[in-house]
Amino acid sequence: MNTKYILTIFSLVIIFGCSSQVKIDNPNIPKLLVNQMPYDVAIKYPENFNNFLHEEKVIGKKTWQVDFSHSNKLLFNKIFQSYFKKVTVIESSEERLYDNFNFTIQPSIDATEFSVPEQSQDETFSVWIRYRVKIFDHNGVEIINWPISAYGKTSTTTFSDNNDLANAAILAMRDAAALIILQLEKTNKLALSAKQT
Amino acid sequence: MKIIYTNQNKPIYQYKVVILLLLMLMSLSACVTARIEDNRVGNTGINDGEGIVILAKSYHLGNDTETDFIKCVSSTISKGSTAIRVLPTNTFKDLLFPWFEPRTAPADTKSLANLLIRSQVRDVFQSQNLRYIVWLDGNTDSSGGGGSMSCAIGPSGGGCFGFAWWQNDSKYEATVWDVQDTKNEGNISAEYSGTSFMPAIVVPIPLFARTQAKACKGLANQLKIFIAG
Repeated sequence: MNTKYILTIFSLVIIFGCSSQVKIDNPNIPKLLVNQMPYDVAIKYPENFNNFLHEEKVIGKKTWQVDFSHSNKLLFNKIFQSYFKKVTVIESSEERLYDNFNFTIQPSIDATEFSVPEQSQDETFSVWIRYRVKIFDHNGVEIINWPISAYGKTSTTTFSDNNDLANAAILAMRDAAALIILQLEKTNKLALSAKQT
Repeated sequence: MKIIYTNQNKPIYQYKVVILLLLMLMSLSACVTARIEDNRVGNTGINDGEGIVILAKSYHLGNDTETDFIKCVSSTISKGSTAIRVLPTNTFKDLLFPWFEPRTAPADTKSLANLLIRSQVRDVFQSQNLRYIVWLDGNTDSSGGGGSMSCAIGPSGGGCFGFAWWQNDSKYEATVWDVQDTKNEGNISAEYSGTSFMPAIVVPIPLFARTQAKACKGLANQLKIFIAG
């Protein structure tokens, strides 16, 4: 009994000692301070947006697993609900898109990367997230296809590597929000497309 | 009866002395040399109720100011007889999201003036009664170490022998912007350096040069004087 108990503890130490799990459950994305556009939009999220998981093994070191959970959905809901007057999240694939709305938005994640202090040789955690935002007009014609390369960086604090990496990821998500708003404010494609309808 | 009482407590007393001695040694710190300079451009002053916010310059500009350092400067400025109200950095960034994120934060006073054209941004500054933005730049580095130390442990005990040292350099700069007239009022630079030592004869005794803590206190006190005018 004692041997089994010791072996179980030993195995657990080996398994968890070689990997780190970071969960981003409720990122702090405040309401955006922007002028609202008078459009009725729909958002259609890809399936992996509710449980996006990124795993990376640092060569010769441990494996890091970043669980974004539903945080990406929270991020985009917050951005578009701040920027557009009316936002509908399309949950079912059977619901009609495009013609019921001024615009339909389809965000997705192209790639995620991070670096930990062992790799960067400094006391920082960095996270890169490359999102893609596609916007379709009421006819289903793609009018916008933006790659959004977001970046977040935090310095290390004592005994909280997981928190530091999570904070870098949240900073990257906030950076994505800033980039999307800058792009939306700059483009005239939405206004032109809305005028034609 | 009395003798037994003394003998039983003697080892405990000795341990207490040893622990006290170790704590005293641990609390010792190495010498630090300091230089603080301020470069005033305009006139400053702060009225009752007005506050400031302390932010790190963007990491997109290659800045690595530690979050703990910003917290330390904010906390030191908001304490004492000449305390100034400091709005917490995260509260400020959340209230003005996304306009003070590393990518969007104004890099100069002209960009701040452009940002203040937005009525919602201006309203936040007014409702929070914010007079100054203090931008912090710089970091603390450890370099130029030397010496050697070896530690061993065995059935009868363990210990370390040797001597090690390293250099600590803290270089920071604070730039003060007046929100009222969107003007750069000047900057304060703080340079603190020192050598940390760790001699070990059985027990290692660290003698840290606490350059960052001293830079925080020095810079914060100078900022109070600078802002008060």
